[in-house]
Amino acid sequence: MRRRLRRHRLDAEVQLNMAAMLDMAFQLLAFFILTFRPSPFEGQLLLRLPPPVPLARPMMPLPDDQVPTNPNALFQKSLDIWLPADAAGGLSGARVGLSDAFSGPANSVNLAKLDAVLRQVFALQGDEVDQVMLHVAPGLLYEDLMKIIDVCMRQKLPDGRPVRTINFTELTQPSDGN
Amino acid sequence: MLHSARAEPNLVPILDMVFQLITFFMLVVNFKGAETDQSLELPVLGSARPVDTKGEENLLVLNIDSLGRLKVYGAIKDVKNYIASEARNEADKLAIRKEGFKRGDDLPATVVIRADKAIPFKLLNEIVRVCQENGYRKFSLKAVSQREER
Repeated sequence: MRRRLRRHRLDAEVQLNMAAMLDMAFQLLAFFILTFRPSPFEGQLLLRLPPPVPLARPMMPLPDDQVPTNPNALFQKSLDIWLPADAAGGLSGARVGLSDAFSGPANSVNLAKLDAVLRQVFALQGDEVDQVMLHVAPGLLYEDLMKIIDVCMRQKLPDGRPVRTINFTELTQPSDGN
Repeated sequence: MLHSARAEPNLVPILDMVFQLITFFMLVVNFKGAETDQSLELPVLGSARPVDTKGEENLLVLNIDSLGRLKVYGAIKDVKNYIASEARNEADKLAIRKEGFKRGDDLPATVVIRADKAIPFKLLNEIVRVCQENGYRKFSLKAVSQREER
């Protein structure tokens, strides 16, 4: 009698109610679908910036009477790039050391010119450059600044390493009468 | 006779599929998205690449709009107070965890700057300067690698 009862229990088919579990699963699925928002692909540019040092630079590159006789003097530690801005905040030109890279907006043609100038400079004097120092006009829009940084990041030192030490400082406005 | 027939569909395959979908969404869910302001238009930078810090470094994410306002989880905060308080908290943690760390030492955390492309350099530079005055030295400028349709 006992044996028969045990066998009867073992043969009984267990039926789980899947509908309840499916309801819950669909609710979870709905939550994840509604809250799903793929984040845009963002890159980043890593910089190490030293503590602030007071700087007073002219708005434009050195006047004629202050230009060093040795043109390599500006490249001893840092490669200086001056970036003035127009009234709308767009880039109005770029000067690398003592020579104009281009004048006008930061379009692809002008950026290619800057790229060519920087390539030449790094090919000749890359060993002497510790950092690229960008002297940026206060009103220059971040978008144009990043385009210049992009060009600088593409440069390579003579040993093949990419340029990664980039710093920037604010250009001071020239005082009236000077 | 036909009316009394009871249909019992097999729900196991659909349940399997639903669980697979749930697993997918759970894996791709991004909880960090809340701290990034997606309304900002980041500049486009071709050479921008994602850098994996492998969770070793603390990040201070600053969302800065075109007017130079700092937004934290959508709320506008005072730049100096917020950065100073974050730096204090970071220094307090390091003083406990890291041997030899003194107040005033450089902070190892990276400041992630997510600035709108229309912000003038002057406003951005002021924020960078505040960070530097509070001990931050490492900065990461965020950009998108290509223009995305919004």
